[in-house]
Amino acid sequence: MSVLASAHQQEIPAFQADDDTCPQCKSERYLNKPMKLLVGPCYHKMCESCVTQRFDAGPAPCPVCERILRKAEFYQQIFEDLTVENEVRIRKRMAMIFNKRQEDFKQLKDYNDYLEMVEDITLKLLYDEDTDEAEFLIEKYRRDNTALIVKNQTKLRREEVIQRLIFDQEQLKRQQQWEEQKKQYAKEEREKAEIKNSLITALATSTMDAKDIVKAKMIQLKKSSLSSRNAMRSVQFNYDDLLADVDDGNDLDEGEAESAPLDPAESPYEPVNIELMDRYDDPFSAFRQGGLTAAGVTREMHQRYLIEGALAGLFARPLDDDDSVAEQQ
Amino acid sequence: MADRKPQLFEQTSQYQHWRFTPSSLAKLRAENNRLGVDRVLLGLQQEAQVDDQGASDTRIAEATDNLLTPAEELKLIGFYLQMIKFCAKVYMTSKLLKPESLNNVKATAINFMKRFYLHNVVFDYHPKNIMLTCLYLATKVENAFMKIDDFIRPLAAADAKSGSKTVTKSEDVLGLEFIVIQSLQFELAVHHPYRAAYGFYLDMQQYIEDKDRLRDVYERTAHYIDQSLHTDLVFFYQPSQIALGAFKLAAKDKDFDVDLYLTQRFDARSLELLFLALDEIQDGITGFAQATKEDARLIDRKLILCRNPEKNPNSVLYKKTVVAQGDVPYVSDSDSD
Repeated sequence: MSVLASAHQQEIPAFQADDDTCPQCKSERYLNKPMKLLVGPCYHKMCESCVTQRFDAGPAPCPVCERILRKAEFYQQIFEDLTVENEVRIRKRMAMIFNKRQEDFKQLKDYNDYLEMVEDITLKLLYDEDTDEAEFLIEKYRRDNTALIVKNQTKLRREEVIQRLIFDQEQLKRQQQWEEQKKQYAKEEREKAEIKNSLITALATSTMDAKDIVKAKMIQLKKSSLSSRNAMRSVQFNYDDLLADVDDGNDLDEGEAESAPLDPAESPYEPVNIELMDRYDDPFSAFRQGGLTAAGVTREMHQRYLIEGALAGLFARPLDDDDSVAEQQ
Repeated sequence: MADRKPQLFEQTSQYQHWRFTPSSLAKLRAENNRLGVDRVLLGLQQEAQVDDQGASDTRIAEATDNLLTPAEELKLIGFYLQMIKFCAKVYMTSKLLKPESLNNVKATAINFMKRFYLHNVVFDYHPKNIMLTCLYLATKVENAFMKIDDFIRPLAAADAKSGSKTVTKSEDVLGLEFIVIQSLQFELAVHHPYRAAYGFYLDMQQYIEDKDRLRDVYERTAHYIDQSLHTDLVFFYQPSQIALGAFKLAAKDKDFDVDLYLTQRFDARSLELLFLALDEIQDGITGFAQATKEDARLIDRKLILCRNPEKNPNSVLYKKTVVAQGDVPYVSDSDSD
């Protein structure tokens, strides 16, 4: 996602300085608080009213550089430095067209070459060298890759939508959890107060020993707070349903949705299936002799380790001479 | 099953780099011996140039007559492999080595020494010194570390008692340490049949009712595993296979049937190949012959005459070149790449 797009999404305010002055009508922010300074494609500034005045009737030359401009081409600047603004804009435009991804390439080298080609064109535009050639290259690329560009753009949009949905859902979830917790606390407070009240009435009316009554009530109090803690559950969301909504009517890449879920704790090796017995007759156990005192080592773990050792490579074929000849070659 | 994951034991350096066939092992040793002999002759010629006292011709002729064959080398190494067991017991009785780490330390030291002499020859490094370095290294690798002073003390005492001229010093052990590690190609993890045998003892309990006799058999197994360490089986088979072979031998001694467990536990098709391997392992273990002290003494006497003068601190060449230059007396073996 380009900087500019994310800036719009998160509503970063446009850049404004206190000593802004419109170079055309010379009106100052000091006198005209809501004044909006706009920037055109030639990076000359003008206030909003000047732009309306000058370009309402149609394309007109810029008063500074005489370049023909349109009203729609003016926008509010985001960065203070106009060269940064320029670079961001150029890069945004390039990213719209050159939107191939690494998975579109067979080899990493091809992808890197492509990135370098894009960067070369971008730099040409940035430093105003061979702009014609750069424009020609961009146009040529656009014509050659129309289908892929459109496909990648829809993909990008879809990802953005999903991102936003997940973000919204997470916020909602947090809020619901917070409210649930608040309710829980209120309930707890209420129960505590009730128990206290009943304690006072019991002390006043009952004929039992005061100590016993207090003891019984304290136990009740502890129990109630425990049970309410246990009842607190986090609100669960199903992201799969969410994604299914987004995918409806969207063209999905084949097989993308069917990949198995990744288990980060999965062993990279073939698992060994061992069923341990409940009890082994084991007079040699290191546990008996006070060994294996490392934290977390259990008798079962050690037994499993030993049996794994017994099964490891039990059916491995010894090397024969054909193998070793092949290895040497 | 194209997407079968690799098995854990296949990733060990022992599986990847230290497996041979009987013929490739013999070839490697013969080649190693040949290169070693070349080095000895070259060293003697160099010595002849440096030595101004003459008589070098007879010296070279003497050495050529007494050069050791690969088989003689093996016998000498085998004798010192047995010494490892003896040394380790001494440390255990003096409480420097815990009884539960004895087996692993012993087996690792033996394995180190065997691997070392796949890439070195006794002409260059005398097994007596290499044995001590391997043993000390093994105590560290197997998490049974002792101080070098503690390690040296019984050795020096034994030297003094036997009235030998030289007394073992800590430098003798530590000086060779890097050379040994380098020859081991920095692969220090060794897997032994002891763990596998213990695992079988536990696993068999699921199928075998008679726990007491099973325990007897398991206790006997250690004896055969000890023997297997001195053979070349470790270069051919997996630790679990050797352990099972030892188990079968022990079971034979105690009139016990292990096959009952095997046929119940594993499927028949994979067992067919396993039984072939087990037969060979059993033959290997029972066919092991101890090297006697007499043999070792005879070979050692020959070795005095054909040591590589480049590596022998008592030789004229060593004194004149290496010591005079003030270099660290380290010479890499030319065989390793």
